[in-house]
Amino acid sequence: MQHIYRKIQADPRFHELEHKRGRFGWTLAVIVLANCFWYMGATAFFPDLAFARFWGEPIAEGGSTTWGIVIGFVQTVVFILLVGLYIYRANTEFDTLKDAIVADARRAAGE
Amino acid sequence: MSLNARLLALLIGAGLPLASLAETPAPERDLNTIAIGMFLVFVMISLGITFWAARRTRSTSDFLAAGGRISGFQNGLAITGDWVSSAALMGIAALIYSTGFDGLIYSVVPFGAWPLMMFLMADRLRNLGKYTIADIVSVRFSRIPMRTLISLSSLVFVVGYLIVQMVGAGTLISNLFGIDYTAAQVIIGILIVLYVAFGGMIATTYVQLVKAVLLLSGASFICFAALFHFDWSVDGLYASAISNHPQGMKIMQPGGLLTDPISAFSCGLMLMLGGAAMPHVLMRFFTVPDARQARLSVFYAASFIGYFYLLTFIIGYAAIAMVMKDPRFLDANGLITGGANMAAIHLSEAVGGSFFLGFISAVAFATIVAVVAGLTIAGASAISHDLYANIFRHGKATDHQVVKVSRISAVCLGAFGVVLGIAFKDQNIAYMITIPFTVSSSVFFPILFLSMYWRGLTTRGAVAGGAVGLGLGVILLFLGPTIWGEILGHGEGIFPYKYPALFTIIASFFTMIVVSKLDDSPRARRERAEFDDQFVRSQTGVGAEAPAQH
Repeated sequence: MQHIYRKIQADPRFHELEHKRGRFGWTLAVIVLANCFWYMGATAFFPDLAFARFWGEPIAEGGSTTWGIVIGFVQTVVFILLVGLYIYRANTEFDTLKDAIVADARRAAGE
Repeated sequence: MSLNARLLALLIGAGLPLASLAETPAPERDLNTIAIGMFLVFVMISLGITFWAARRTRSTSDFLAAGGRISGFQNGLAITGDWVSSAALMGIAALIYSTGFDGLIYSVVPFGAWPLMMFLMADRLRNLGKYTIADIVSVRFSRIPMRTLISLSSLVFVVGYLIVQMVGAGTLISNLFGIDYTAAQVIIGILIVLYVAFGGMIATTYVQLVKAVLLLSGASFICFAALFHFDWSVDGLYASAISNHPQGMKIMQPGGLLTDPISAFSCGLMLMLGGAAMPHVLMRFFTVPDARQARLSVFYAASFIGYFYLLTFIIGYAAIAMVMKDPRFLDANGLITGGANMAAIHLSEAVGGSFFLGFISAVAFATIVAVVAGLTIAGASAISHDLYANIFRHGKATDHQVVKVSRISAVCLGAFGVVLGIAFKDQNIAYMITIPFTVSSSVFFPILFLSMYWRGLTTRGAVAGGAVGLGLGVILLFLGPTIWGEILGHGEGIFPYKYPALFTIIASFFTMIVVSKLDDSPRARRERAEFDDQFVRSQTGVGAEAPAQH
């Protein structure tokens, strides 16, 4: 197994894959973390600050549904969509590249 | 019990609100025949599954990882089953019933664990693991110290979680079904031993899957029947809730009901990071054939779990709108019978009558049995694969022996669960759910994360940091407001926060980094050098465990 690992390590495409996938994953992770902390902050810490105060306002004049409810709902939906976005890119672009790298490394290693 | 104590963890499918049922005993119910009948149907189906699974369970791989042949969709549903329990349904509904909008924080924030798991961990976990989370770190670290730490921490996790589930279950079941507490414990014990000892991971997975479908259907029915009642007007439902609730419009607004922001933050962090590193959930990643199916599992799990959390946006407020002013569900003082935890259950009766109440009660029972089965197999794998096969027998145990030890461990854990459930009857054990989450967020998460992302981590650093996380967690919990303050009667805690996770996570990461940096032993140098190989394997799946061939 070791010699295949060496071959993969030596392939510049592997580092390209790693770089792309890492940046994509971390970007999405930061979006998720920021949203969770924003939500916790607005609810638990600073409900009176500007970034949270409008959460208590109804979305329509005289209505009962507030912005906070809509934001929580949308955030949950967006999280699901982000997971879907990640898996789409991972299953197409990243997996194709990965399979090519592994196949070449195995061939070069004579397997 | 304060809001903070309650909030927490339940949310994640743990047993907290259930546990707090113990404090507000509901009136004894008559034997609920509809519920019992439906539960018997579930038992028949699940035992049928177990019988079928037992015939397919031969090797260790079958027993502990379902032979790696579960599909991403099935596994996603099973993970949903591990994560979302009826406790989550009842707990979140109870929080919204009492505190309105602020209760929703426990729908929205813990869900963040799922995207994080997908973006940072899912592929790597599958590519590095085999049966347990100790396998992941054994790829480049020294086997004996790492496995000892992780398997013992897993057992602490499992037992802590088990006590909460068993006590909560006994109380809930005796309330809903009108059967005796001890009898409920024994029934749960017998069922999980049958599932796990005979059917192993295959049976556990399918039972979990059936339960997830039942729970999602039940919650969907409650949600849509409630909306139907308000002519499909969400705004109308909210308006009715506002007019019923003494806090009025405040239930739709963030209100700062969380009085201790540091604890709330600590709790949120614990739920997110701890939720991403629970052994009984992570071991599900090893039941699928490859990283692609592992990703699919997370996608389906995130979709189902997210859907469930979205339902709580309606269910919680529907309980206010339909239960809070309905005399059928109120006691002489005008308070909800059985406490706020019963809000979702009463709502099911309000929207679907006694037949649907029976269905939901049966689902609640099935859910607890399934979650306990998941915990039991996680504990059994820590004993048989980590402690017995790898530490005690140095990897020389035969397949047959490992399966046998797994089965025996499952029986012992089941019996142990029943004994603990009976021993802790009527005690306030709600705080105990903090133990497993502190362990997973301060021991498992830092070790897994650093071992996958940081070349510099060494065995010495990981073990030192894990031990600090575990030890400090136990000490701070003991000195905190719940145990030192309330249970030991000192009024307040020496350590002021209910959730030590914020501090133990930082201490654990810090210790791991410092000790690893100082570690210049030959072993440490070798472990750093092996990072490259581990990295390639985690990224490509070359050399990963393949599904069993039959």
